[in-house]
Amino acid sequence: MSAQRTTLDVSGLPKHGFDAKTQLWWGNVWLLCIETTMFGLVVAAYFYFRQNFTTWPPPHSDSPPYLLEPVPRLLLPTINLAVIILSVLPMAWADAAARRLDRRTVKMALILVMLFGTAATVLRFYEFRSLVWSWDSNAYGSVSWAILALHLVHLIVGTLEDVFLATWVWLRPLDENHALDITVTAVYWYWVVGTWLVLYPVVYLSPRFM
Amino acid sequence: MGRTLEEEERREPAKLLDERGLRELEEAWREPRAPRSWFTSTDHKTIGKRYVVTALVFFLLGGGEAALMRLQLMRPENDLLGPDLYNQVFTMHGSTMMFLFAVPVMEGIGLYLVPLMVGTRNVSFPRMNAFGYYMFLAGGLLLYGGFFFNTGPDAGWFAYVPLSGPEFSPGKRVDIWAQMISFTEIAALVGAVEIATTVFKQRAPGMSLNRIPLYVWALTVTSFMVLFAMPAVMLASSMLATDRMTHVSTHFFNPAEGGDAILWQHLFWFFGHPEVYIIFIPATGFVSAIIATFARRPVFGYTAMVLSLISVGFIGFGLWVHHMFATPLPQLGQSFFTGASMMIAVPNGIQIFCWIATLWGGKLNMKTPLYFALGFIAIFVLGGLSGIVLASVPLDLQVHDTYFVVAHFHYVLIGGAVFPLFGALYYWMPKWTGRMMAEGLGKLNFWLLFAGFNLTFFPMHKLGLVGMPRRVYTYLPGLGWDAMNMTATVGAGIMALGVIVFAVNFFWSRAAGSVAGANPWGADTLEWSIPSPPPDYAFAHIPVVQGRSALWERTEDEPVVVGLETKKRLVLATTIVDAAPSMRHETPGPSVWPFVLALAVSSFWVGIVYTPYALYYGAGLTALALFGWFWSDPKFEGLKAKRKKRPTDWRKTEDPETLPAEARG
Repeated sequence: MSAQRTTLDVSGLPKHGFDAKTQLWWGNVWLLCIETTMFGLVVAAYFYFRQNFTTWPPPHSDSPPYLLEPVPRLLLPTINLAVIILSVLPMAWADAAARRLDRRTVKMALILVMLFGTAATVLRFYEFRSLVWSWDSNAYGSVSWAILALHLVHLIVGTLEDVFLATWVWLRPLDENHALDITVTAVYWYWVVGTWLVLYPVVYLSPRFM
Repeated sequence: MGRTLEEEERREPAKLLDERGLRELEEAWREPRAPRSWFTSTDHKTIGKRYVVTALVFFLLGGGEAALMRLQLMRPENDLLGPDLYNQVFTMHGSTMMFLFAVPVMEGIGLYLVPLMVGTRNVSFPRMNAFGYYMFLAGGLLLYGGFFFNTGPDAGWFAYVPLSGPEFSPGKRVDIWAQMISFTEIAALVGAVEIATTVFKQRAPGMSLNRIPLYVWALTVTSFMVLFAMPAVMLASSMLATDRMTHVSTHFFNPAEGGDAILWQHLFWFFGHPEVYIIFIPATGFVSAIIATFARRPVFGYTAMVLSLISVGFIGFGLWVHHMFATPLPQLGQSFFTGASMMIAVPNGIQIFCWIATLWGGKLNMKTPLYFALGFIAIFVLGGLSGIVLASVPLDLQVHDTYFVVAHFHYVLIGGAVFPLFGALYYWMPKWTGRMMAEGLGKLNFWLLFAGFNLTFFPMHKLGLVGMPRRVYTYLPGLGWDAMNMTATVGAGIMALGVIVFAVNFFWSRAAGSVAGANPWGADTLEWSIPSPPPDYAFAHIPVVQGRSALWERTEDEPVVVGLETKKRLVLATTIVDAAPSMRHETPGPSVWPFVLALAVSSFWVGIVYTPYALYYGAGLTALALFGWFWSDPKFEGLKAKRKKRPTDWRKTEDPETLPAEARG
C-alpha cells in the first residue's frame, strides 16, 4: 500500500441523516410495500366474495337483530376514524421536533401520540361489534373482521413503537439515531392512518352501495 | 450538526491505513468464535454461507424424496410407498424444493455476494439479516419435525382447498405446512429488504446505476418481486390456518358460507408464478457473471439485459392465471393471460441471445462453471418451448395435470435454476473456501447431471401426452407407461450420482484443493479484488469504481476511499443514482437478540397450531424480545464489550462534537 495512491477522503461526511439519505428510511419503505400489497389483496378478496352473495351483507335472519341488510353501524367507527386522523398532528409534531433534536418537545409529543394510539386501539376492539355479522358466520363476516383485525395489528405495532421511543427519550438522551427512528416511525404512522382512509370506506360505506 | 469552517480546516486529511489502522479495522469487525457466533453473528458472509449450507441440506432431503417417488413409480402397482406416505412425500418434495431450497439458496448467495459486489462491508440491517436466517431454519425444522412424527403435510405444495380445508384434511398436517410458509416467507422478505436497501444505499462510490453488475441487478429485481409476491402466500396461508382452527373457524374458503375455493388459487398463484421468476432471475445473474468471466469479455447488450430483467419482473406478475386454465374463467381473462405468458418469452429470449452473442465472439475458457451455463441454455430453451404449449388454453386443457406439466417445470426449474446454481457453486467456491474445486470431478458432475436430467424428464413429456396424470402413487400395467417410467427412474439414479460427485468434490476440495488466490478466474466484479476467503471487514479501503467491469477497467492509480474510522463498524452510504458518497453509517456488531426474537416468534407460531393461548404468551414474548433488541446498545454487545476494559472509550475517542449535549454530560 504505497502512500502515493489517489484517495477519496470521506472523513468530512456526516454520520447521521434523515429520510431518503438513510438505510432505515428505505427499509421502512420496503416494509410498507409489503403491507400495502397485503391490504390490497385483502380488499380484492372482499370484493371477490361479493359475487357469492345476492345481498351484501347477507340477511341476518338466524338470531336477533333480524335485519334484511345488516350494514355495519357507523357511530363508533366514525369516532375512531376521527381519532385516527387527529393522531397525525402529534405525530407530525414529534417528527418535526425530532429533526431539531428538541428532546423536551419530543417527550411531550410522543406521550400524546401514545394516548391517541391507545385510544384508537381500544376503540377498535369495540368497533368490531359494529359489524353485525361475526367472523365465524360467513365469508362476509370473515373478510370484514380480517380487514379490521389486520389494521388493528398495525395500530398496536405503531403504538408500541411509540411506547418504546417515548421510554427511550424519557430515560436516555435523544441521539441522532433515535431521532431518525422517530421520523421513520412517523412515516409508518402516516401510512397506518392513510390505509385506514381507504379501508374505512371499504368496510363501512361500500356495503351501503353494493 | 454542520461543522464550522474552522473545524473543517483543523481536520487533518485522512490517510491510507497503516499497519495499526488495519489491526484496528480487523478488531472492530472481528466476528465471535463458534459456538458463540452461532447465536450472535451478524456478518453477511457468515449468514449467507449458513443459508447456502442449510438450503443444500434441504436440497439433499428433497432429492431423497424425489428418489423415493421415482422408486415407487419405477414399475406399475409397486408397493414401496402406500398412498398416504406417497402424498406426504410428494408434498414434502415440492414444499422443500420451493420454500426451503430454491428461494433460500438464491437469497443466501445474494446475501453473501451482493455486499461484496457493490463494495461494502455488510448488509444494511445486519441483525435483521441474522433473524431472517433463524426464521428460515425454524421453518425447515418445523416441516421436517412434522414429517418425522407422521404429521407431514399431504395436500400438495400448493395446498389447494377444499382438499386442504378443515373438512377433508383434519389433523395438524396442513397447519404445519401453513405455518412453515409464514416462517420461510418472513425469511425471504427480510432477505429482499436487505438486498434492496444495500443496493440502493451502499454501493461503492462511482458504481452508478449503469455500472451495477448484472448479477446485482438480477438480485435487485428479485428482491422487488419478493416484496410484492410473498405477502399473497402469507395472507392465503394465514386465511387457511384460521379456516382450519376449530376455535376460529373463518369461512374464507368454505363455499357453503359464501367462501371461495378459487380465491385460494388466485392468491396462491399470485405468489406462485412470480415465485418461479424469484428463483429464475438470480440464476440468470449467475449465468451473466459466469459467461462474462469465461468468455473473457463483458456481457453483450448490458442495457438490453437490464431492461429485460426489469420487464420480466413486471410481466411475471401478469401470468398467474395460466395455472388455472382448467377452472371456470371468463374468456377475456384466459386470452389476457395467454398473451402475457407468451409475452414473457420476449425479454427472456433477449437475454438468451445476448448470452449467445457474448459467447460467439469470446475466447472461451472451458471450465466447469461454463459447462453448467451452457447446459442451462440448452435445457432452459427446451423448457421454454414446452411453456409455450402450456400458455395456450386449448393445449393446456389437454395436458393439464399430466406428466407433461411435470416435465415442463422441471426443465425450467432444474434447467433454469439448479444448473446455474451448480455453476455458481463451482464459480464462487474458491471465494468462499479459498480453494479451487477439482475440474475433472466437476466435468464428471456436469455430464452425470445433464444426462441423468434429460433421461429422467424428457420421457415425461411423452408420458403426459399419452395420459399419465400427476400426483398418482401408482398405475396399472399395460398402459404403455412402464418403459418410460423405468427410464425416468434410471435417469434419477444418474442424477443422484452427479450430486454425490459434487459432494465428494466439495469436501475433497475444501480439504485439499489447490489454493485459489484472490481472483483465480480473472473475473471483473469487486468480490474478486479481496482475498479468498474474504476478511471480516471485506475491504480494507472501500474501492472507487471506474467502469462497468470494475476490475477490468481499473486504472493503475485507481482511487480508494479513506477517512472511515477504523475503530467502529462503519460503512459508506452513497446516493441512489450516482453512488456519490453521502454519509458514514455505523452498523451494529454481534448480537444475541435476533436469536432470542426468532425463538419467541417460533414459540408463538408453532404453539398457535396447538393452543389458542399461544396468541397471548407468543405476542407477549415477541414484544419483550423486540424491546430488548431495541433497548440494547449494539456497540456494547458481544465479544467487544467483554474484551474492553473501559466501555466508555468510544464516546471519548470519536468526535464528541457530533454527540448531543446530553450524551456528553
